[in-house]
Amino acid sequence: MALAQPGPLEHRGAEAVVTAVEWHGRPAVVKHRNRRSYRHPDLETRLVVERLRAEARLLERAAEAGLPVPALYAVDPAAATLVMARLPGETLERALRAPDGARWLPQLGELLARIHAAGIVHGDPTTSNFIAADGEPGANAGLAVIDFGLGAASDDDEQRATDLRVMLESLEAHHPELTAREPLLAAYGAWDGAAGVLERLAALEQRGRYNLVRG
Amino acid sequence: MSGAVLGIESTAHTAAAGIVSPDGEILADRKAIFTPEAGSGIHPREAANHHAVALPGLVREALADAGLRPSELALVVYARGPGLGPCLRTGATAARALAHAHGLPLLGVNHCVAHLEIGLLEGASDPVLLYLSGGNTQVIGYAHGRYRVFGETLDIGIGNMLDKFGREAGLEFPGGPKLEALAEGPELESLPYSVKGMDMAFSGLLTAALRKLADGMPLPRLAYAIQETAFAMACEVAERALAHTGKTELVLGGGVACNARLREMAATMADARDVACFAPSKALCVDNGVMIAWLGHVMHSGGYETGPADDRVDQRFRTDMAEVTWR
Repeated sequence: MALAQPGPLEHRGAEAVVTAVEWHGRPAVVKHRNRRSYRHPDLETRLVVERLRAEARLLERAAEAGLPVPALYAVDPAAATLVMARLPGETLERALRAPDGARWLPQLGELLARIHAAGIVHGDPTTSNFIAADGEPGANAGLAVIDFGLGAASDDDEQRATDLRVMLESLEAHHPELTAREPLLAAYGAWDGAAGVLERLAALEQRGRYNLVRG
Repeated sequence: MSGAVLGIESTAHTAAAGIVSPDGEILADRKAIFTPEAGSGIHPREAANHHAVALPGLVREALADAGLRPSELALVVYARGPGLGPCLRTGATAARALAHAHGLPLLGVNHCVAHLEIGLLEGASDPVLLYLSGGNTQVIGYAHGRYRVFGETLDIGIGNMLDKFGREAGLEFPGGPKLEALAEGPELESLPYSVKGMDMAFSGLLTAALRKLADGMPLPRLAYAIQETAFAMACEVAERALAHTGKTELVLGGGVACNARLREMAATMADARDVACFAPSKALCVDNGVMIAWLGHVMHSGGYETGPADDRVDQRFRTDMAEVTWR
């Protein structure tokens, strides 16, 4: 790949290592999916290729739908690598810790609804997978969404509800002081497709997290 | 010997009584496991009857093992949930009888948290727990004053999945250990791999595996594929929780955590992340009274106030319901 000198490590996640680079003069990141030695090699190969392809496809679909996502610059399944635009701002995880962090919550609910309305389920919508940038409205300000590696193209309310559950769990685990549920779901509920999803969410919480005992 | 704590466990198949000293020495660990008839699952009432018969003897044996009279105990503890209602009530009744007869303090504790806290006896201090049993499949950690569930199964428990498949394949309960013995690789049959963020699902995997079984695929090959796929899912979720929380310790718990392949995978994952992996002995991974006693001791000595709500069973006692005041 025609990469410039790799820059500093941006993030070592569970799935991938993200490194800051210059891509033909533009600020970019290289996302490399590292192999998991605990998984059977055949399973590992299947997952790496599946997730890389899915992520590239979904990023393009999201961009076409006008969602705030990083532009995709290059895909290399053999090297398990994606190159994307580097977005300005900080992770939502961090932004929510600011004194007025709660102001991001309505925007987050709205963005999740827009993702779902575009026929995409994210698969891993935790607070680390959103980038918050302050500044003048328009341009690059506001929330952007990254990492569609566990996502899917889907209109399924069950999968959308699972997205909401993952988001709520991430918020409750990392930002319990925010009591984020109400503002998030209120903003999400403004979407005209939300009713069915919220019903599924209630059902999911009944049988999943709140019902630990099964015969 | 004073200050010893007795714990009673009866949330599901296992009736158990364990005794620990205040410094974590295991003085007794007695268990009796209810085994349903071949081809059928657990019936809560039948299991509770089994526990009602077994518990008095288990408590007596545990006290004899520890060389203690009941009046020498400092505290009686029982698991008040989550679990099967009739089984929980049986354990609670046994604990109450013992405590009241000898004027001992009584405390009801959370079964899932006990699996985590027993890992601290192994040397961990702030771990992520990968808790894999029949009904419970959770990734738990401490954050902001509570134990949080970072990820869990969205449908059936991993152990239930193994047992249900085993039952269909004509194996005796519990199916997990039999599948482990049968599993034969390295050729990997492809099965659904379902991780949603930090959560996982096993019913799709079960359905696909049962279909392949019906189509005549050899059991050893299927057993291998089920283990490789399901355990990798569990390890991936644990890995995501470690990455997300920045914690550097992993503790294994639950009956499925006795599986050698699961232990190997978890250790490999932890090693690659520079995370210390603590795998308690099999006796402490499965449901046991020792972990109940130890959690009760830790809570009690940490100043936990026993309120009326602590002496009541709760089938759906969630891991994150109680504020953790003892850490």
